[in-house]
Amino acid sequence: MAKVLVVDDDPDFVSAVTIVLESAGHKVSKAHSRQEGMQVFDKDKPDIVVLDVMMQEPDDGFVMAQDLKAKARVPILMLTNVGQVTGLDFGKDSEMVPVDAFEQKPIRPSVLLERINQLLK
Amino acid sequence: MQVLDRVKINQEISDLKKTYGDDRSALLPILQDLQEKYGYLPNLVMQETAHALDIHPVEVESVASFYSFFRRKEKQGKYVLRLCQTISCDLSGKAKVARQLENELGIKFGETTKDGMFTLEYTNCLGMCDQGPALLINDRLFAKVTPEKVPQIIADCRRDFVKSEFPKIVPSNVKKSGPILSHDLKPGEGLKAALKNTRSGVIGLIRESGLKGRGGAGFPTAVKWQLAGAAQSAKKFVVCNADEGEPGTFKDRYLLFDHTEMIFDGMTIAAYAIGADKGFVYLRGEYLYLKKHLQEILENRRQNNLLGENILGKEGFNFDIEIRMGSGAYVCGEETALIESLEGYRGEPRNRPPFPVDTGFQNHPTIVNNVETFLDAALICVKGAKWFNEHGTEKSSGTKLFSVSGDCEKPGIYELPFGITIEQLLKEVKGENAKAVQIGGASGRCVARKDFNRTIAFEDISSGGSIIIFGPQVDMLEVAINFMEFFVEESCGQCTPCRDGNVKLLEGLKLLEKGRCSVSYLNELMRLAETIQLASKCGLGQSSPNAFVSIIENFKSEILGRVPEKA
Repeated sequence: MAKVLVVDDDPDFVSAVTIVLESAGHKVSKAHSRQEGMQVFDKDKPDIVVLDVMMQEPDDGFVMAQDLKAKARVPILMLTNVGQVTGLDFGKDSEMVPVDAFEQKPIRPSVLLERINQLLK
Repeated sequence: MQVLDRVKINQEISDLKKTYGDDRSALLPILQDLQEKYGYLPNLVMQETAHALDIHPVEVESVASFYSFFRRKEKQGKYVLRLCQTISCDLSGKAKVARQLENELGIKFGETTKDGMFTLEYTNCLGMCDQGPALLINDRLFAKVTPEKVPQIIADCRRDFVKSEFPKIVPSNVKKSGPILSHDLKPGEGLKAALKNTRSGVIGLIRESGLKGRGGAGFPTAVKWQLAGAAQSAKKFVVCNADEGEPGTFKDRYLLFDHTEMIFDGMTIAAYAIGADKGFVYLRGEYLYLKKHLQEILENRRQNNLLGENILGKEGFNFDIEIRMGSGAYVCGEETALIESLEGYRGEPRNRPPFPVDTGFQNHPTIVNNVETFLDAALICVKGAKWFNEHGTEKSSGTKLFSVSGDCEKPGIYELPFGITIEQLLKEVKGENAKAVQIGGASGRCVARKDFNRTIAFEDISSGGSIIIFGPQVDMLEVAINFMEFFVEESCGQCTPCRDGNVKLLEGLKLLEKGRCSVSYLNELMRLAETIQLASKCGLGQSSPNAFVSIIENFKSEILGRVPEKA
């Protein structure tokens, strides 16, 4: 079982993901902004980060992914519906979007758990 | 009568396609060149252009009818005289110049002399507000025109400006420089500094500086660059918005002439950061006289590998810049309208989302930034984020260039820190006697004396840099009428609140002028203004009633109960 940090400005989404992850035996830390996310990351040192894109600023998720990769080799699962809402088309990019997996919201709990387990291997 | 030769026209269009490309985005430059050749756009020319670009002739007609610089019916004169009708030039005595132009030429505005030499027109802001009244004759600019100078200017036209004593480029009037304008960087220095950094590192630096768009809306530059950089696409574009059409703004005209290298440095840095290989400068049609200068600098940069392939030895970093001209449409300062115009369409704003950072020019990720923003970005890459944000406020970092005009002793360009109060600014420009200040141009707001302690910053009163000062003698109703006439003319007509609403507001102002408007009707108009702000599609419509609302709110006692002067 792993320590998972969930960073998303939608409290309902964070709650729902927490229930799913805790039911699978993971320990969940939560944050609702990029700044809070970095603080919690430094404090809890999670094994994996589940990260939203648009929070206070539209690019917060990308910036946080860059900051995280600059300081640690932690896997990041980027989870967003930004494409559906805005038409923006993003994907993995080693420098600008340095994440390990990119999934669209909404995501089925089983798919979420499977992706996290894959990234933890 | 001009006899048109279809074969010759087709050859000309074919040659122009070699320069501008053969897709729809070549339409505007082709039409601009053909108009210059024929003096207008005859139907045959538009039809053949349509066939050459494989579009319907009505599409070409539709575009030609949208932009005020295109003429479809009547051949324009050899010299087209465009007199600025913006409020700043009004305050400088435009009316007498207009009358004298009519007297000397024997025609009214909107007409062409019988000998085909002169066409006389009004135009919106020429970006010479500190040196008005301003007159544009083809690509020559005349500042501080007086009725006495008019005959001499006309005589110079007749001599094709041989031995003219008027300068072709009017020098800018910089009254105060700060850290941005007094930079001592050499061409390419900003770019060299940026290329030592990673792409995300460059964007990180811009983020740390807190740089926000200098066009007025104040969107964080780093966010725009980050989103475009993260977007997936085979092509990406960088666009410099040099469509400086906001009445009372002229700082970009100065920057484009005197800080050209750093602006191109900024564009090239942006291209590196987002991964673009093509850039455009969208230059307003009124600034045609700057095009040659810009092209010379671009060519020089190509020679020095500051543009082209593997720029400064950076493997795989290819980028070049092309100048595209506007054709007299204020709305094209709105970024999606600008992109539509670049693509060869009417400059009608798009719905957002999707945003240009993902779906911009030809549906590829595109960043559109103001001229001043690119300059700031280049300097930040050399001097650092801390150097930049030690000026200004927490939410509005850095200094800002202001174009100051109207009733003050020292009009001109000023570099001042964000967070300055209006009172401080007026002291600086020696305009303390002002009864009102228009901040942000026609789309900004009119601030009365009671609010002169407010600050110019994104968190208080935001501005793209236009400051127009109104002295005690100015009739604020006339000011409101001038601004509303501007919006009635410049609305793209796409959405009803802006297209029809502004006409009603202007009619209301005319009623006030005649002393025939009840307070209850005026209140109705204020509610209509609110609807226009809420329901219009783009920034132009949303901001179009700002001047109306603020002038009515601040100067009701001056405006109500007018007794019209007897004829």
